[in-house]
Amino acid sequence: MDRGNESMRSSAERERSGFYQRLALPALVVITLFFLVPLLITLSSAFIKTGGGLSVERIVAVFTDAYTLRVMRFTLIQAALSTLASLVVALPGAYLLSTYSFRSKRLILALSAVPFVIPSILVVLGFVIFFGNNGFLNTALMKLFSLSDPPIRILYSYKAIILAHTFYNFPIIMNLVATYAMHLDRRLEAVSYTLGASKTKTFFSVTLPRLLPAIISASSLVFLFCFSSFAIILVLGGGPRYTTMEVEIYRQARMMGNTGAAAALSLFSIAVTSLLLVAYNRSQQRLAKSEAYRDPLSLEKRPAGLPGRILAALYTIIALLFVLAPIISVIVRSVYSSRTFTLRWYRQLLNLERATSHMGSALTALVNSLLIAFAVSLLAVALGTALAASIERRRRSRGALELLGMLSMTVSSVIIGLGYFLIASRLTGGASLSYTLVVLAHLVIALPFALRVMLPEYRKIPLSYAHSARTLGSTPARAFFSVELPLLRSAMVSAAIFAFAISMGEFNATLTLASSTIVTLPIVMYRLIGSYHYQGACALGTILIAVSAVVFIATGRAKGTHHA
Amino acid sequence: MKQHRTLCVMVAIILLILPLYAQGRVERQEPLVVYAYDAFTGDWGPGPDLVAEYEARYDTRIKLVGSGDAVSMMNRLIAEGKSSPADVVVGITDDMAGRILDSGLLTPYRSPQLAEIPTFLHFDESDRLLPFDYGNYAFIVDSEKLDRSLWPTSLADLTDSRYRNKIILIDPRTSSVGLGLLLWTVEEFGAEGWLAWWEAVKANVLTITDGWSSAYGLFTEGEAPLVISFTTSPVYHVLNEQSTRYQTLIFPSGHQATIEGVGILASSTRQEEARRFVDFLLSDAQEKIAIANSMYPANASTTLPAAFDWAPKPSRSISTDRTRLEKNLERWLTEWTEVMSR
Repeated sequence: MDRGNESMRSSAERERSGFYQRLALPALVVITLFFLVPLLITLSSAFIKTGGGLSVERIVAVFTDAYTLRVMRFTLIQAALSTLASLVVALPGAYLLSTYSFRSKRLILALSAVPFVIPSILVVLGFVIFFGNNGFLNTALMKLFSLSDPPIRILYSYKAIILAHTFYNFPIIMNLVATYAMHLDRRLEAVSYTLGASKTKTFFSVTLPRLLPAIISASSLVFLFCFSSFAIILVLGGGPRYTTMEVEIYRQARMMGNTGAAAALSLFSIAVTSLLLVAYNRSQQRLAKSEAYRDPLSLEKRPAGLPGRILAALYTIIALLFVLAPIISVIVRSVYSSRTFTLRWYRQLLNLERATSHMGSALTALVNSLLIAFAVSLLAVALGTALAASIERRRRSRGALELLGMLSMTVSSVIIGLGYFLIASRLTGGASLSYTLVVLAHLVIALPFALRVMLPEYRKIPLSYAHSARTLGSTPARAFFSVELPLLRSAMVSAAIFAFAISMGEFNATLTLASSTIVTLPIVMYRLIGSYHYQGACALGTILIAVSAVVFIATGRAKGTHHA
Repeated sequence: MKQHRTLCVMVAIILLILPLYAQGRVERQEPLVVYAYDAFTGDWGPGPDLVAEYEARYDTRIKLVGSGDAVSMMNRLIAEGKSSPADVVVGITDDMAGRILDSGLLTPYRSPQLAEIPTFLHFDESDRLLPFDYGNYAFIVDSEKLDRSLWPTSLADLTDSRYRNKIILIDPRTSSVGLGLLLWTVEEFGAEGWLAWWEAVKANVLTITDGWSSAYGLFTEGEAPLVISFTTSPVYHVLNEQSTRYQTLIFPSGHQATIEGVGILASSTRQEEARRFVDFLLSDAQEKIAIANSMYPANASTTLPAAFDWAPKPSRSISTDRTRLEKNLERWLTEWTEVMSR
């Protein structure tokens, strides 16, 4: 009897684990066929000689070419400077957040979601509109001090790149460091004060050393982001001098028709980012072992005194201005033309008025983007949920499976796009093929984010629910679909919104892979910016802002899902 | 189970709708696909007007595809190869024609209009690329931002420190105008001296853009008073803005020339229609092209408005020998990149 029971249970167990194992299959097929295969094609083209046949010539040429090395050096230096600038802006905020409790705290913390919801092409547009020679800032300053020349000239220089990267990335550092610091045990500082150390001395010899792992970890993440930056450099940089690896890969592949060189550059770029990733992983592990997560005990935050409150208010105002001004400028510029209100650009967008330039394709682009994003979000949620369940409910190789699901995050989207471009140029097919490729590329990019949202939510579902359902006679599939899935509904909605937004704003891979006949919202925005039709670009940008705002609100609701 | 089914159905619907949506558009309209560089299809270009006129006259549809600068467009065409959706390609210049002619993607067409075009413009004897307009590269000056006494009179002048951050150039690796200036400097300063000019001009350059549209847009936004463009560029402003603010700088030692050609794709299944469109470009469209493209028309029988007085023809027009060009181009570009990235 006992034995029978046992064998029954183990067969049920087998059946159950068999079901959960199969759940990972769709995602694995997608990752293999649409991420790993294109990547392998890209990397292997680096080894093919111009006339055919295998050779390492091209790799050697690229790794020793003076120009490539210069591009690599610029890429590294700009990433380092951007990280440094982000630190300078972020650390005071992190300090204020973790030391005092004040009213605008939630406002500042909400800022940290900005980099994840704002597409890079929007950052670029906001910067040109706000900081450009004819931008809001310069116009205001010129009027204020009655100057004839714009006093702030930052576009098309190193400064513009660093500033845009700082805008984009300081909230990440601020959030990560502040969250860590909030959990630090403050008794050590108290002890230090009792022992007669000054505030400054305590900060530098007690607080700062303990914060270092968090600072290093956040910085390496930001460094990685800036290393792979594309849209910002493409528009705000310029010329061979301000070129990063990703821009050079795009230029070689799509503007110079030199796919072999682009592939070799991708190999170089992946080699460097892999090293960075290892470093980041190390710092993450060290962070996980550190005291903040072992000892959640911390002293109550002091309510801010007058100086603290003034500092906090000042920082909040400046940070909000820095982040929001470029974004609001985009909305304002889309409806104001030389100080008169106009809906002309929206009429052109909706084809109600004959459009000039690239605005003619704006409506098609909007419809395309919405359709693509809709398809991507459905697929990403379905695959991400199934994969999350499979990871959580299996005994072996959980880590490997999770890593596989996250893998496409480690490769820059320009390189993902390049693989698709190489495949597309060998296939014959009309627009439907091209659109399918765009959807698949976006899916590969959005999947890790959907998985990131679903995993912790799935983890919260007690195993006993499925067990109870099984005892009541349902199959593993039925238990999953009618017990577990309904519990995941709100998480699935957030994951869908996230994937939708990623697809709507995706620029790097789309520009690199798409044939000229394909238009999406960010691509048309880029063409409009490139030919100085800022107002049309702003009208499209406002739509993207609206999408981002929805995501922003949705992520604010789904607390605990941090997507770094 | 219910949820499962709903999800499956939704995914299936999406997968069905997406290609239908895309394909439906291709099948219903089936326009003649014309590739052109951005400046042709954009606001300053002749594309939109010509297409409207042609569509009305022949009751047909044209899809004008702007795909970056002319060099990018050609590279895209070569990458797409025989599967390219294009029927006609507009704007391949003589100095970069070698690669597209070698690719065998274009088919010859002996247009009856060629009789009206002077022989010095027939740069492709095989008639796969037919000249439709031509121009000379020149620096354009913003007379409101740079005092007339400071205007340069030669390429060498531009290296003077008084033009610091005042010049906008274009990347010769990605743009025909950029390439035009590179060749101009090679012709002017010789194989030994041209790189020294670039080295010297570097400090004066505000930025090097990837394409002409960005460069000229920056220039008219007032970011810098000097830009590399064409002798004919001021015509646009005279005609459309009644402004002579932007003027051509004619250098006595001569200007590099460029001839733009149009070709028909051998892979096109619509040769008849493609030929009709090419004939249109070489005849009735000539005045519009010259005006909107700011170039001189190839067809000698074209009459031009008085605004073209603001597009002085240089006393000396320079061309680079095609064999010399093809032999050296890659090396020149490598050397240029090396100097300019330093």
